[in-house]
Amino acid sequence: MSMMRFQTVERDSFFTRLDFRPKLVMMAVLTIIAFVWESPFAGGLLALSVIVASLLVGVKPAYIRLVITVMFPFYILLLLTHGFFNIDQVKSLTGKTELTTLFMFPAGWPVIGGGRMTVEGFLYGWNVIFKTLTLTLVIPLGIFTTDVDKFIVGMVRAKVPYKLAFIFSATLRFVPLLFSEIQAIIEAQRLRGLAVEKMGPIKRVRVYAKVAVPLILGAMVKSQMLEVVLQSKAFTGSADRTYLHESVLTPLDYLMIAFFVLLLIAAIAAYFTIGFGKFGGPF
Amino acid sequence: MTEPIAVLEQVSYMYPRSPEPVLRDISLEIFKGEFLGIIGPTGAGKSTLCLALNGIVPQFFGGRFFGRAVVAGLDTLEHPISAMARHVGAVFEDPETQLIATSVENEIAFALENLKLPREEIRARVKPALAAVRLEGTEKKHPAELSGGQKQRLAIAAALAIQPDLLVLDEPTSQLDPIGSQEVFATVRELNKELGVTIVMASHAAEEMAAYADRVALLSAGELTAIGRPDEIYADIELLQAHALRPPQVARTFFLINHGGILTSSIPVRLEQGVAELKALAADYPPAPPARLPEPPQRPGAPLLSVKGLKHTYSDGTQALLGVNLDIREGEYVLIIGQNGAGKSTLVKHFLKLLEPTEGVVAVGGADTRTITMSDLARRIGYVAQNPDNQIFNASVAEEVAFALKNLDFPLTEVEARTRESLEAMGLWEVRDMHPLALPKGDRARVVIAAILAMKPEIIIFDEPTTGQDYRGARYILEISRQLHEMGKTVIVITHHLYLMPEYAERVIVMGKGTVLLDAPIRRAYHEIELLRSTYLTPPQAVLLARTLDHDAGHDFKLLTPEEVADCFTGDHAGQSVGGAA
Repeated sequence: MSMMRFQTVERDSFFTRLDFRPKLVMMAVLTIIAFVWESPFAGGLLALSVIVASLLVGVKPAYIRLVITVMFPFYILLLLTHGFFNIDQVKSLTGKTELTTLFMFPAGWPVIGGGRMTVEGFLYGWNVIFKTLTLTLVIPLGIFTTDVDKFIVGMVRAKVPYKLAFIFSATLRFVPLLFSEIQAIIEAQRLRGLAVEKMGPIKRVRVYAKVAVPLILGAMVKSQMLEVVLQSKAFTGSADRTYLHESVLTPLDYLMIAFFVLLLIAAIAAYFTIGFGKFGGPF
Repeated sequence: MTEPIAVLEQVSYMYPRSPEPVLRDISLEIFKGEFLGIIGPTGAGKSTLCLALNGIVPQFFGGRFFGRAVVAGLDTLEHPISAMARHVGAVFEDPETQLIATSVENEIAFALENLKLPREEIRARVKPALAAVRLEGTEKKHPAELSGGQKQRLAIAAALAIQPDLLVLDEPTSQLDPIGSQEVFATVRELNKELGVTIVMASHAAEEMAAYADRVALLSAGELTAIGRPDEIYADIELLQAHALRPPQVARTFFLINHGGILTSSIPVRLEQGVAELKALAADYPPAPPARLPEPPQRPGAPLLSVKGLKHTYSDGTQALLGVNLDIREGEYVLIIGQNGAGKSTLVKHFLKLLEPTEGVVAVGGADTRTITMSDLARRIGYVAQNPDNQIFNASVAEEVAFALKNLDFPLTEVEARTRESLEAMGLWEVRDMHPLALPKGDRARVVIAAILAMKPEIIIFDEPTTGQDYRGARYILEISRQLHEMGKTVIVITHHLYLMPEYAERVIVMGKGTVLLDAPIRRAYHEIELLRSTYLTPPQAVLLARTLDHDAGHDFKLLTPEEVADCFTGDHAGQSVGGAA
């Protein structure tokens, strides 16, 4: 049985060989652009580019499918809330005094009768969906394509404190163990005859909460053990140490950093000059 | 002897909140190039002694430390742990917790990076360290991709890369299957004999320690009770018994022979010595089979648990079971053995409905498990996990036992009656109001068993109950299994510790590569030596000694225990001396 593990792409490409720092710049730039742009068309283009780039560099389609599936109920909620209720913000962004009706529930229907979904609200909902999609997918694009070693050294070189980088790396190592432990405890509960599937949600939550008891105790024992192991390996948490792996920026890394900085400048300039990415704007 | 690499002078130590010293007045010299074994029951202070060698005790834990420990010329109180780490490599029990990096080469490099070695030097040390433990070519692998034995070898390689003066290993094989354990012992032996690395190893593996260690130190209640060559320590059976320790079976066999009145020139502690000695003895005292060897009773009737054509393929394509057929009848005591990956756990998970068959049928009491809910199945089959703490969720022993009954909506009077009955059967009535985790580990397992018993299951499965336990702990839980068997329960045990089981199991199922390789009464199964070895299982030494007798004298006694082997010479029926006492 396979244990849950940190995902890394298997495909080798120029992108996987990049240092982590240009990827960090890329993640920051795409995040800022996603926040700035409000147009569902520009936002959709950005999200689509991130998806295509992720697939090209080897992020598994199954992972992207999983993200979209998990987020799907949230997306529906976004469309409904913005379509029906986001009136004032959309009016102020479009400058319209009256919004276009997409459809309306018959007035006689109980509770929802008379409810009106607007085209502008619906489109704004799509804008938020694309924003979240870009933000969720830019992380695997940057992280899954980076070797963990490069990632940690890159973080340290980017002036992230070593202790923080170590915690991140230790988390990558131990989170899968934690998940397998949770799995073992839930199995143990079910084997004690707990028909979780027959329980109501409140009872189910109460029973699952009991997982915390062995889990926390187990984690405490493990964390003390881990401290002893770290001590025996001369770990002090000090950044004054050497590294097996190097983090040297190549011309390609510099080129990528320059590209993303220019992209950011261009995106913001286009937003303010020709209204590219503005909600209700020409694009 | 060469010069000492470590000197402990009257070392005593108390953890910050321990009421009594964990180490008491220990004076010990460890010599360059030697392999020192440390033995003792759980709680004897073995791990604390190991941690005192690199200064973690007392520097990290605090507490009160008396006396002096000097390792590689450094006083452990005066030099920081990070400085001691340059001289003392440490390997611990749990293969999971002690690997902290996300790749094999990073694991090796981690301590070297902390010691601020230049990158080129670190690079130069990775390959030889991996070669020394035969893990070349795994540099880029994630530790999760390694087997248990490989993980421990990686931990050893990481410690070796420091080029320490002393390598300390604390129970490095107790969590491993037989292959993993053999790998680790072979590696440590090679490092010691060929590279001259000084080894200190705490372990319960008596047979291996007798074979590999130069000296053995016996710790009990924090005191250094005895120290000497393995043939001195392990031959002193009474000393070992007095400290709840298990001698190698070969030593116990000869002790019993001597005890029965036939004096041998020595009590051998290694198998090859024992075999030679036994051959000589058999020439003087022709062995006779013991008067009566117990055979398992015949159990007619329909099977309680039935597996037909069971195949299981995991979602990643791994074929874990390739067509298993077996029937287990009411009242049987069945032992399931095999390496990790042989399919044991996958099989048992089908009994419990944690997995569904890809093909084939599993039936309990004639009913296909696909038609039974997991909670209904749990009333019929109890499962005791390797770590009982994972099965404890409540704040008192009584609540723990009543937990499942309440969730299964039993009437309150029934819950109370069953809880009391279970607690009394497991001898826990007096501690019913205590927190389960305040009890010793053996008793915590008893709480879990009481909770299972309250559901009145017909079958109880023990999943590796002896892993990580000392001899006393392992026997304690197996005695509970015996008690349940005597109550009429069907017992299924999975364990790697074959030497513990002849007193308990009736039938053995040997699994390998997803199939049942052998399903036979224990007396026959343990003597299928080639088959067991083909799947890296080592029969107990008593069986190997018995085979020597059988081979030389043309018998087929199928003996299982030191008592039975000794009885061939010392029982009333045994042959008379033909050449006088040895």
